[in-house]
Amino acid sequence: MNVAETLLVFAGVPLAIIAVLALLIYVPAGRNRRPRYKPGQPWEHAPIWYEPHPEHGPEAGHGETLAIGSSVHGELHGAQSPDSHGATTARVVNAGPLGGARGTW
Amino acid sequence: MNMTIEHDSAIDGTYDPRADSVVEQHVDRVFSYQELARLDEALTMSSRETGLRFTLYIGDLGTPSRVRAEELHARSGGNPAEGVLIAVSPGQRVVEVVTGAAASRRLPDRACALAVLSMTGSFAGGDLVGGIVNGLRQLSDQAGHPSGHRRH
Repeated sequence: MNVAETLLVFAGVPLAIIAVLALLIYVPAGRNRRPRYKPGQPWEHAPIWYEPHPEHGPEAGHGETLAIGSSVHGELHGAQSPDSHGATTARVVNAGPLGGARGTW
Repeated sequence: MNMTIEHDSAIDGTYDPRADSVVEQHVDRVFSYQELARLDEALTMSSRETGLRFTLYIGDLGTPSRVRAEELHARSGGNPAEGVLIAVSPGQRVVEVVTGAAASRRLPDRACALAVLSMTGSFAGGDLVGGIVNGLRQLSDQAGHPSGHRRH
């Protein structure tokens, strides 16, 4: 075993293994990386509103969400539904006393 | 219409990205498709099991965040009395749960506070989607099935 072969086996093979592992570790993170939310970061995305699917096909959910700033459809300014009693603003139905909770982190 | 329907069609392959490139740009910018699918399933299944209407808002809530959240709840579509809104403002680090009058009989404020506590625990660790999914699970477990549709 001459010097070149020794170098190839004892230096080249470990380096090759290290290179393969480094590629496996760092390449998937490099492409298509979405910045992960960390507490304290500002939130620069547009507001999004998610609602559940209607239960029995499209007709069961009369789900015209008047979502403010939904990133797909935007705000429906002064949207009128047929059953709104002459309201000039968006349909707001009184939901009675509201409950709920609040939390910070 | 809602965003989640478009997410679904994007996931199951019936969605043509060239048909609406604006939507395509926006859909997975905040969350990945897997995360969106988890959110979608959690929202739909908890709404279906409980008969309440769970909606989720992620975005800025302004300074009196409670007032803003209640305003959003009133506009959340469907019957607001049976609506439950989870409003998350990651920039302000605030989460608000708003329940309508009928929903708050099945989801007392104490149960909401417990769900909020588990959500804030996940949010503080940077896991928005996991926290929301767990909070929805707790809320729907607490609310149970609607009395008319009890399964045997």
